[in-house]
Amino acid sequence: MTQTNTSEMNPREKKLLDTGSAESTSTVPQFSPQVDIWENEKGLTVVADMPGVSAEGLNIDLNDNALTIHGHVTSPHEDRKIIAQEFEVGDFYRQFKLSDDIDKEAITAAIKDGVLTVTLPKQAPAQPRKITVVTA
Amino acid sequence: MAFLPFFGRNIGVPFWELEKMRGHMENVYNALAGGLSQFRKNYTGVFPLVNVLEDDQNLFVVAELPGIAADKLEIAVKGDTLTLKGAKTLDKAEEGVNYHRREREAGSFSRSLTLPIKIKADEVAAVFKNGVLTITLPKAAEARAHQIKVNAE
Repeated sequence: MTQTNTSEMNPREKKLLDTGSAESTSTVPQFSPQVDIWENEKGLTVVADMPGVSAEGLNIDLNDNALTIHGHVTSPHEDRKIIAQEFEVGDFYRQFKLSDDIDKEAITAAIKDGVLTVTLPKQAPAQPRKITVVTA
Repeated sequence: MAFLPFFGRNIGVPFWELEKMRGHMENVYNALAGGLSQFRKNYTGVFPLVNVLEDDQNLFVVAELPGIAADKLEIAVKGDTLTLKGAKTLDKAEEGVNYHRREREAGSFSRSLTLPIKIKADEVAAVFKNGVLTITLPKAAEARAHQIKVNAE
């Protein structure tokens, strides 16, 4: 199911990755992809626009509670002469901190037409355990 | 923009080498098939943003359109005008979800570009891969560079 928005789209400059005080040594620019994140009782869904990223160029990593998304973009136009350039081509990188209730084993990801969808299901809620107290 | 002559007379002017280089750059831009630099000047900020590239045979127009179905894209060439039209829809989340981030945008778009050179309109091809649209526009014979052979006598 899709929702249609009839408004005109506005061009947005790609947001360069903010590396804070850590300096980047990457030779290509790195961008922070635009994302939608929503949550319900079943889990969390992260949707990211990453044009030019193929399934092979995508790297999703989970370390402790940090989810890292890295998409490598290869341009077939390197030998061609640029006449006009309105956007830059580069990799995508973004990190998220996850809460503890995510079932890390059950995370799945899919990419289609440059849109990455990561599904992060929540762990089944801990069953209330009744502790029987035995009288001695 | 002052064009300084290539030789002579400006030796005493500070930075004349730089000035000379700037003049050359400008010349190169203006000379390219009747002012290709008009693309830069005409940048209107209309979605989608495009990159225009060329090689000897073709002109390439590249646009990043993540999440747009290929069958929702309309590409047309009429005379020297290239038109891109389409719409982006977002997958609707289930009911009762809480949004933590909502950065992606949806909507319709339409953009026309004036091509800087003559192209073969009937041989234009478009490929949509991983959310990137690449339109290949073969240059018309008169717009291609011709190699002129020098005969030694």
